[in-house]
Order: sequence, then structure tokens, then C-alpha cells
Amino acid sequence: MSVTTPEFGELPEQIEVARSLPIRIGDALWRFARRSPLSAFWGVVAVTIIIIAIAAPDIAPYAPLRSDFRHMTKPPDALHWFGTDQIGRDTLSRVIYGSRTSLLVAFGAVLLGTTFGAVWGLASGFFGGRFDLISQRIIEFLQSFPDLILAMAIAMALGAGTGTVIVAIAITRIPFGGRIIRAVVLSLKETPYVEAARGLGASNLRLMARHILPQCIAPYLILATTHLGVAIIIEASLGFLGVGIPPPMPTWGNMLADALNSGLVPPWWLVLFPGAAITLTVLAFNLLGDGIRDALDPRLRGAV
Amino acid sequence: MFSYIVRRLGFGMLTIVGVSMVVFVVMRILPGDPLVAIFGAEGFTKLTPDQRANYMNALGLSDSLPLQYWHWVVDIARGQFGHSFFRSESVADTILRRGPLTAEIALLSVALSWIVGIPVAVLSALRPNSVLDNISRFFSILFLAIPGFWFGMLIVLASLFWFGYKTPMAGVSLFADPWGNFQIIIGPAVVLGLGQAAYITRMARSSLLEVVREDFVRTARAKGLSGRLVITLHALPNALLPVITLSGILLGFVLAGSIPVERAFGTPGLGSSMYTAVSERDIFVMQNLVFLYAVVFVALNIVIDVINAWLDPRIHYQ
Repeated sequence: MSVTTPEFGELPEQIEVARSLPIRIGDALWRFARRSPLSAFWGVVAVTIIIIAIAAPDIAPYAPLRSDFRHMTKPPDALHWFGTDQIGRDTLSRVIYGSRTSLLVAFGAVLLGTTFGAVWGLASGFFGGRFDLISQRIIEFLQSFPDLILAMAIAMALGAGTGTVIVAIAITRIPFGGRIIRAVVLSLKETPYVEAARGLGASNLRLMARHILPQCIAPYLILATTHLGVAIIIEASLGFLGVGIPPPMPTWGNMLADALNSGLVPPWWLVLFPGAAITLTVLAFNLLGDGIRDALDPRLRGAV
Repeated sequence: MFSYIVRRLGFGMLTIVGVSMVVFVVMRILPGDPLVAIFGAEGFTKLTPDQRANYMNALGLSDSLPLQYWHWVVDIARGQFGHSFFRSESVADTILRRGPLTAEIALLSVALSWIVGIPVAVLSALRPNSVLDNISRFFSILFLAIPGFWFGMLIVLASLFWFGYKTPMAGVSLFADPWGNFQIIIGPAVVLGLGQAAYITRMARSSLLEVVREDFVRTARAKGLSGRLVITLHALPNALLPVITLSGILLGFVLAGSIPVERAFGTPGLGSSMYTAVSERDIFVMQNLVFLYAVVFVALNIVIDVINAWLDPRIHYQ
């Protein structure tokens, strides 16, 4: 690719032209897309789901809580593409609105839990000593529970609500961030460039912020994307078990629970669509995470 | 080896003490009044202050926290695991009555995950990037994303729709009625087994591809063994070590995963008790069941470590 300018004619491509940040990001994305088209495709799917979640009120054909008593428990037709539930609410609209809660909880939990764990891991790996020892024990205790059980217990103890579900899932994410980032920091601490900076008299804070933190960003990003999928499944399971966000809020887990509680045989459209939405979303985030991992740091394959 | 096991058990006990504290903190100390949890926000406001105090006393919730913790530990040591707020049955009885069904489901699902996962992994590793490899990769990625309980609901619906088949609801023991018992556990076991198979296939495939590059495999080839024999006799046993570890970890997660899956199938196992406890906001049952699940999880981890040390002489534990 070459650049043509009025003064100098055609410039060879080696000459770096100062470019604005959006263009550089666009270039990076384009390179990512060319290197792994499959991940790029799933990235587009993930972004589409996020857009659907944000623009839910504009996209959804009906209000998610509005009952249409002339069309109750109707299979999919031209009026209601995904059918209606027992009290005549439109399934498609509820699935679309469900993406909001699902993504809000997943992003909230990961931002809160994985970030807290990562910062904790950074500090505990960097300072070592007694602080590290105690931190490791606490993380070990937290890891002695299967994710779902701990999330159930915390969500139940705190009482139902969007905030509590986010906190419950976030707590189950802490150990992963803590352990992986700590391992990264432990190996970084011994590298010559960090020792050189220390020799030059850099303070602990400066060492952490300027020299170690930037190296932790790639593993953190990979970890965060991978955990989005897990968080979505836990949120759906909590909703399904009745300890998630309370009804009538449309979440995918709640919709499946409603279908099951409605009677002996749930209508197929009430089961198929919310679950398919969960699967598609988790699939998109998992594959995007795999792609980001391969692009940023292939050595982490299998570790995260 | 013996001293390693003893030390590992010692650490395990320490972890269990820590775990019991975490459970106690979560169930009793976190904000949220236990009476609100039991009666619901509406029911709670209807109680008079006297009634509230009475309930708190009857439940032992007005004691100091260390005393409450001590009572709980004594209760566990006696093997009682406390009483449900709504039922006469003690939690220990519930565990004994319903636990075996969940254990059967978990073990059968592990067996299924190996039966499906290992052959697929071997076929994939024999010809990396072949059509078969790509198909198996697609399915393992898909099954990592499918929520088990949804898959379970689909199976229940499909078997009813196409075959008019409905699983028996009543729990029967393996010894009294093996066929009835099998009908109950096979659905959840298949769902949970396929979920694990996705992980097992991935791990076994990458582990095999790594082992295949080692010297002893080259030697085996050099002495003229066929590709298939090299894989099955020399590479596979060595590649299985990480798979065994993973399988043990997955077994712990399957116990948790069986809660929504049992709910989807209507299986009367321990997962259903957990669901009942959660939906009734029965914090005492919940507290003990959560603790039990965590203890099983910790014990499984110890067993995996010991099995690994026993199978792999290269591992030297301090």
C-alpha cells in the first residue's frame, strides 16, 4: 500500500504517516480479521448481539411485559415470530430483552470479579511474603467450591436482584484472575528489565504501574473474554433455578424456568429460542476469546 | 508416597476448615436477614417483633456468631448436618436418600465422557486438520457453549414428542430396580457426559499431539510398529495423565452442574434437594449442602493429586 501526496508524489510504503487512533485501531482489526477470519466472524456476531442488547427497545416488536390475551401459548406465526407464552407475551421480544440482562450481568461480573482478582494477583505476586501467603489461602478456599454452588449460595444469602447476581458471579471469578495474573507477575518480577528499573531507583508503585501492569493486559483481556461465556451460563443457571434476577424481568434463564414451571409439557418454542440465544451468545464470546488469545499470546493456549 | 498422602490430607483438612468458614460467612454474616430469606420480604413485614425474636431464638440465630459457628461444627461432627426449616427430615437423611442417585449420574457421565471423548480424540490426533478433526472440534466447541439444563429440556421434549416416552418420576435404588434406576439416570448422565466429553476430547487431542513428538514414540515407529499401534500402545497411556486430572476436576463441576440438569429432567437426586432448598430459602439445608459439595470437591482434588503421583513416577512431590 502506498500513499500519494501533492508535494512529494508517491511515497514508498515504509514511510510512516502519522495516523489518528481510530484508523490505527481499524488497521489492527483488519489485520486480525485477515489472520483469523473465523474469529472475526464470531467477533461480528458478538458485536451484533451487543448492539441488539443496547437497542432492544427499538428492535423488539412488542413490549416484553405486554400480555396479548387473544394470543396465548401460540406457536410461531407471522405476528409473533417466536410464538407467545402462557400469558400472551411475545417470545421474540423477551429473548431480545433477555440479551440486555444477560450481557449486563456478564460484563458487570467479569469487570468486577476478574478485575478485582487481577489487581489482587498483581499485588500479591509483586509483594510476596505474608500478604501473598494469606491471599493464596483465601483464593484456595474460594476455589474449593464449584462456581455454580458458590454463586447460588451468595445470590440466595444476599436476596434477589440484578446487583446481587452480578456480585455473586463476580466473586466466583476472583480466583481465576488472582491466580493467572499472579503467575505472570512472578515471572515478570525476575526479568532483567524490571530489575534494571528497580536499580535505577523506581518506586514500587512505578514498577507496578509502568513496567509490570502493561504486560498483564494481554492475559487479562484473554481471561475476561473467556469468562464472559462462563458468566452468561452461570447467570442463566441461576435464573433457571430461581435465584437469579426475579421475574417478570425477561432473562433467558427465567424464561426457561417459566416454561418448565408452566405445566407438564412445556411448548417447544418456549424452550428452543431462549436456550438457542444462550448457546449462540456463549459460542460467539468463546470463539472470539480463542481468537484474541491466539492473536495476543499463543503461549497461553490451554492455560486460560 | 505415604507421607505425601498424609501431608495432602492434612492440607485438605485445613482447606475444609477454611471452606466451612466461607460458607458460614456467606450464609450468616453477609447482609440479608435470615428471616427475610425464609419468609420473604412481605412475610417478614407481617411478623411482630416478638414473633421475630421467637423465631430467631428457636433457630439459634440470636446466639453470638462464634457460638453459632461452634454449634454448627458440633452438629456436623455428630453427622446430623442440621434440620430443614420446613421438613422433619434431617439434612443427613436427605443426603443418604438422594445422594446415591446423583453419585450414579456423576460416575456414569464420567464413563460416558471417556467412551465418547477418547476415541474421537485419537481419531482426530491421527489426522490433525482432517475433516473428522474439524467436525470433532466443531462439536466440542458447540458443547462447551450449550447449557446442560437446556439440552436436558430439549431431550425430554424430543423423547416425549417423537417416542411418547416419559421417564419415571419416582426414585428407585439401583439394587431394587436396576432398569427403572437406569431410566432415571441415563438422561442427566448423557447431558453431563457430553458436556465433559467436549473438554476431554480437546485435552486428549492436544496432549496426544504433544506426546507424539517425543523420542520414545519415534523409537517405536523406527522399530517398525504401525501408526495405530504406536498411538494406542505407546502414546495414549502417556497422553492420558493430564486427561485423568481434568476428568477429576470436571467430576467436581458435574456435581454442581447436575443441580439445574436434574431440575430439567425432574430427577429426584441431591441436586433436586439443593433446588428445593434454594426455592424455599431454607438457609440451614443450603448451608450444609453447600458445605457438603465443597468437601466432596476438595476430597476429589486430593484423590486426583494422589492418583497422579502414583501413576507418574516423574512427578516428585516435596
